[in-house]
Amino acid sequence: MAANFWTSSHWKQLLEQEEVDVVHSPDKERGLTVEEFKYIKMHMANYIWKLAQLVKVRQRVVATAVAYMRRVYTRKSMTEYDPRLVAPSCLYLASKAEESTVQARLLVFYIKKQYSDEKYRFEIKDILEMEMKILEALDYYLVVYHPYRPLSQLLQDAGMTDMTHLSWGLVNDTYKMDLVLIYPPYMIALACIYIASVLKDKDTTAWFEELRADMNVVKNISMEILDFYDNHKILPEDRTNAIFNKISKS
Amino acid sequence: MSEVDQLLSKRPADRYIKGVQLGEGTYGVVNKAIDSKTGQVVAIKKIRLGAQKEGVNFTALREIKLLKELKDPNIIELIDAFPHKDNLHLVFEFMESDLEAVIRDRNIVLSPGDVKSFIQMTLKGLAFCHKKWVLHRDMKPNNLLIGADGQLKLADFGLARLFGSPGRKFTHQVFARWYRAPELLFGTKQYGSAVDVWAAACIFAELLLRRPFLQGSSDIDQLGKIFAAFGTPKTAQWPDMLYLPDYVEYQFVPAPPLRSLFPMASDDCLDLLSKMFTYDPNVRITAEQALEHRYFSSVPAPTKPAQLPRPPLKGDKLSDGNQQKEGPTVMSPARKRLKAQRDGLSMVDDHVHDRQTTGGNTGKSETIPMSVDFSAFGSRPPPRPTLNSADRSHLKRKLDLDF
Repeated sequence: MAANFWTSSHWKQLLEQEEVDVVHSPDKERGLTVEEFKYIKMHMANYIWKLAQLVKVRQRVVATAVAYMRRVYTRKSMTEYDPRLVAPSCLYLASKAEESTVQARLLVFYIKKQYSDEKYRFEIKDILEMEMKILEALDYYLVVYHPYRPLSQLLQDAGMTDMTHLSWGLVNDTYKMDLVLIYPPYMIALACIYIASVLKDKDTTAWFEELRADMNVVKNISMEILDFYDNHKILPEDRTNAIFNKISKS
Repeated sequence: MSEVDQLLSKRPADRYIKGVQLGEGTYGVVNKAIDSKTGQVVAIKKIRLGAQKEGVNFTALREIKLLKELKDPNIIELIDAFPHKDNLHLVFEFMESDLEAVIRDRNIVLSPGDVKSFIQMTLKGLAFCHKKWVLHRDMKPNNLLIGADGQLKLADFGLARLFGSPGRKFTHQVFARWYRAPELLFGTKQYGSAVDVWAAACIFAELLLRRPFLQGSSDIDQLGKIFAAFGTPKTAQWPDMLYLPDYVEYQFVPAPPLRSLFPMASDDCLDLLSKMFTYDPNVRITAEQALEHRYFSSVPAPTKPAQLPRPPLKGDKLSDGNQQKEGPTVMSPARKRLKAQRDGLSMVDDHVHDRQTTGGNTGKSETIPMSVDFSAFGSRPPPRPTLNSADRSHLKRKLDLDF
């Protein structure tokens, strides 16, 4: 699969951290900070996750949906593209692109059932309209690679399948960050294995050496992940709402 | 940037000057157009959004997704996409003709070098897909388009999909029946790139014979036709066969010598053909290996694409008002149009032979209704089955729900 990734559009579209952390001007004018920008993306990644559990789609679909959402906000502002509509629309589009379609009306049904907040409520036609806008924002590139498959292969190769549960969970959490936009998926997988092995006190030095992977990159990603665990917090609802109010059209 | 340019970049739809309708695809109308920015002739597929119920058509989305990753001289290029008036428009490079039109044109003589060139380009496109882990799953002459420069390109990726993870189950209801591999006909759900190679072999044979090779009238009959040509497979030849879901035992028939089926083909040609028609998909030659076969290095050399014979173009000028009368340019997947044109041609033939026709209504009218059944003339091979609607809906259900 690796040979495949290196010729993919995903590989060509990888960005630098500085390119990802750009708050677009309409958002900036409303006083949105980089931290708040990141926070909303994390918040929406969690939202996509919750919705996906309700409509029951594969892990892969969720990961693709979050990647789409993050890609959209490298190009579009949150003022113009309301995250609360972009998130379910990304899930809708990802479910089609990953060949396990979820009906739009089902999404709308669950959103209405679970969220009393008016600001989250949208109709089928809103999702379908946003689907088209997302396609455009993604420049129609829909294939996304994820760390999950390399993760299982690498763990197998290292004879460390007992760490699957822990490292898999770590990979899931990387979608709360922008890593998928910046690093090749197998590097993210390696970083998660690295963290897991450190946590479990396993000596993997020889195995990593044999892989000839760039350990600087692996360690950098690992540091970012650990930083995230140290610093991220779920803000209380009123704080979250205050951020959303900045970008809401009124 | 000039004002005009600004205007153009604002609305992508205005960039293209719409021309004649080329045909009607599975999910929308195809128009010829000119890109006002580059002067390039393109074909624009308008994707209808099915009554605003489920957004962008699933098949179209699959095609977009895969074609954005597949850039190769032997694969149709998706140049651009844009929404306009609630419809999604896909901009493809314009293709003059397709391989079916070449095979069917009785005025065209195909030299061994021509056949070699066509099948080489087919295999190159296919090898590229497989390298990128894409199964085409609808290989047939009608989906192999031919450009003005003679290049053959794989098109219609509406059934294609990624096959990354081994053991993933797929539906076996793919390909038009005549191009379906035996493992599919036996109902396998775990298959790989070998199914495309079998279909390519059928196309290879069709180029040699100038008619579809294995024209089964049902799935059972299709297997019968395959076994009649290559002999009933023995377990030693294909050990997994017995375990396929829809396996049924067929009466044993021995294989006639391959030479008797293709009397004009060279030894190298027959050797490659037999390797592509291998029963066991695990043993069947891959597209990549096939390209290394000595058939492609031995004389005659494959004809250069620009020198390949082409069916005559019929009034396909952008401004040509006679389009309706002369019949549109063949453009996959414009099945119906293509058929109408073919029937038109054959009918001229029949007049030459001065056959008695029953209605006598065919003499005057220039435009030929596409639904008229000409089978009474008897000179035509049976119509090609494409995926029928039952297959399609079955397929859609499977693809939507299986995973």
